[in-house]
Amino acid sequence: MNGRVLLKGNEAIAYGALEAGLNAYFAYPITPSTETPETLAKEFGNSKYPDFKVFLQAASELEAINMTLGAASTGDLAMTATSSPGFSLKQEGISYAVGMEVPFVIVDVNRGGPGLGNLGVEQSDYLQATRGGGHGGYKLIVLAPNSVQEMLSFPKLAFDLAFKYRNPVLILSDAFLGQLKEDIAPNQSANGHNYDISWATLGMKNGQRHVLNSLHLESDSQEKHERHLYQKYVQMRNEVRFEKMDTDDADIVLVSYGITSRICKSAVKTGRENGLRIGLFRPITLNPFPYSQLSILANQGKKLLVVELNTGEMVEDVMLAANGTTRVEQMNRLGGNVPTVADILAKCKEMI
Amino acid sequence: MTSRSYLIVGHGGQGVLDLGNFLSYDAMLHGERTAYTPSYGPETRGGKVRCYVVTSDEEIDSPIVDEIDVLVAMNNPSMDFEKVVKPKGLLLMNQSLIDRVPTRRDLQVIGIPATDIADKMKDQGFALSDTRVLQNSVAYGATLATLGKPFDKEEVRAVLEHVYQGSKSRFIPANLEAARAGYEFVAERQGLKFAECGCD
Amino acid sequence: MMLQSVDEYETKLGVPEGWTRTPTHYCPGCEHGILTRLIATVIEGMGIREKTVMVDSVGCSVLAYEYLNCDHIQAPHGRAPAVMAGVKRTHPELTVFTVQGDGDALAIGLLGTIYAAIRAEPVTVFLYNNSIYGMTGGQMAPTTAVGQVTTTTPYGRDLQKTGNPIDIMKILSQTEGPSYLRRGILAPEPVEAKHGMMYQAKNVLQAKKIIENAFKVQQKGGYSFVEFLGTCNVNWKMTVEESKHFLYDQVAKRYPPGIFRDKLGIEGSPK
Repeated sequence: MNGRVLLKGNEAIAYGALEAGLNAYFAYPITPSTETPETLAKEFGNSKYPDFKVFLQAASELEAINMTLGAASTGDLAMTATSSPGFSLKQEGISYAVGMEVPFVIVDVNRGGPGLGNLGVEQSDYLQATRGGGHGGYKLIVLAPNSVQEMLSFPKLAFDLAFKYRNPVLILSDAFLGQLKEDIAPNQSANGHNYDISWATLGMKNGQRHVLNSLHLESDSQEKHERHLYQKYVQMRNEVRFEKMDTDDADIVLVSYGITSRICKSAVKTGRENGLRIGLFRPITLNPFPYSQLSILANQGKKLLVVELNTGEMVEDVMLAANGTTRVEQMNRLGGNVPTVADILAKCKEMI
Repeated sequence: MTSRSYLIVGHGGQGVLDLGNFLSYDAMLHGERTAYTPSYGPETRGGKVRCYVVTSDEEIDSPIVDEIDVLVAMNNPSMDFEKVVKPKGLLLMNQSLIDRVPTRRDLQVIGIPATDIADKMKDQGFALSDTRVLQNSVAYGATLATLGKPFDKEEVRAVLEHVYQGSKSRFIPANLEAARAGYEFVAERQGLKFAECGCD
Repeated sequence: MMLQSVDEYETKLGVPEGWTRTPTHYCPGCEHGILTRLIATVIEGMGIREKTVMVDSVGCSVLAYEYLNCDHIQAPHGRAPAVMAGVKRTHPELTVFTVQGDGDALAIGLLGTIYAAIRAEPVTVFLYNNSIYGMTGGQMAPTTAVGQVTTTTPYGRDLQKTGNPIDIMKILSQTEGPSYLRRGILAPEPVEAKHGMMYQAKNVLQAKKIIENAFKVQQKGGYSFVEFLGTCNVNWKMTVEESKHFLYDQVAKRYPPGIFRDKLGIEGSPK
């Protein structure tokens, strides 16, 4: 079997985190994310992962995110995963972590609808994820995998970026990717890490005092702090990642992330077999969003079709990138339904 | 590029998701790429369950496809999915639980009483209180035979070992026998015409 | 001993290294300053200051990082126990504690308080119970007495509407986890004297001992929760003197001090 393994997306996230050197995971069960903590619970104590020293099931999402905050405050690699309703509950802790500049990794397995919604796939947490999600105006780096292979490799990337910017990083997965099983090549053995944790609250080593705090009562002090955070968001723009497929001669470029970008790949191939010149632009980082890279395609007059599983969220960013230079259309499905290749091609024909 | 898509449909407790896993592991063990997508309701038993499997000798773009090459229908309601099978595609029907008749005339239809075959294994001394749970392995063997694949006992065992790990590994011998029974049932009847398989 | 200035005070009494020497924001008459100072003295005395992380809660206790000279993490409202668990689980070698108000620990954070106790997290909670939300300006707290006037109970706390005040010692006593459950009084006791009012420091000195006990329990791997009764004369709309009387005459009657659990026998025979 060429060393390949068949893994579920949620399991791959767990192994990816372990291989990145995960120290602590704080769990709260919610479908469809639960295979991640289940996998980690099973692997806890495995001598292959000597750094993995804490697995704890919390009594609520609030406990889980704040335990993550506490563990991460010591400079340890801490992670927690959840699904949409739980992601809302975690916003408080995430906002604090940004204000305190504490790095950790959160996984949101996006499920359907507002409220309890359903267990089906949606991409309706896009705006919540990319606009910060909690109070106070902040940004996370948001990584959007579209395969089980990426679910395995993104935790390492997420921790690297989190510690680089001292800011939480979100892996925005979805109910489809979480439950999807694919054969994947195991990661090359992890190289370990050497993050700067001189800020961590590990006691006053060498008389150096560490205070992780998001409170700045004086206006000038608060403004200075927020400008400092803003400068980090500006620097984070250098981390923009995207993937292009057959865009050079395309009349229509599909813009899609996550699981729908996979369906779009099939649509591009099938469309081209049928004489439609279609391409695909797939943002991998949803924040920073690849505005300038997409605006180049818009300026070339290519029509943009946004395929997403919500009532129109990423389309707002695509329209910002297009800035009125080209036609931007959207198509979507909701509640666990996904568009078919035929749906996408029918829409493309309509646009030509 | 050679690829094949499967849709397996049934109700909870029929082992539909495990059957999807068998087919995915089978492909991976043969060096193919594979994607398995489960879809099920919130109850673990009794609900409508289905899963998609795509196998390919190249990287898989979309893990679900508009049209299906092989539909494995495990109960009556699953016949609703007949319409998504490709022209001249394959329909494998669990005759034990299906009395509906295929409406498509262009499909290759194979009928197998998978549930009955599994039930009859109760006298073979396996450590199972109810051998009906083996119906998915019967269907797995039947699928292999239908696709003209050889029955390699060690390969089938390897597949079962991937899916049934830990305490579940005690189910492997029974499932291996069930897969063989399903395979033999179809192999003996290969080449039967549509009308002869008792579906019409 | 009459002390005329801070300098003289520092010279005569000494300043623990656990104190940053930053003047506090606490209102005159509040015992938060006493608690902070006692903790500074104890962690200095136990030689653990450089291996200590204080998790600051939200409320009047929030600015503790300005005063206590050790590492600090400032937690969201009610989440200090969860943050402490994250720190202590990953770094058992650290002494981890918090000072929470009754709103923080017993209202918005009650679930976290109870679960930290149930899991017997080896951390220490010092609860400052002053029967009111102080920082936000005197609203009803979980510990506000029935009939007590606050800004959100302007006609007195109504039993029918809000139920009885919470007794966290009774609640935590129902769980197996805690090793040390203790209630003490932070306020000096007002006593009549020949020339007017005087204050007895007996309970303050005992509070220092209790703080030390709580840390010792943590060092032995146990969960310790200490409830200190304190005043909030500003939001109680009283003079400092009235507030001390109110605390001893009324609050301490409803919340009697004592040892509610002492598994390790830190104050004598195990209880």
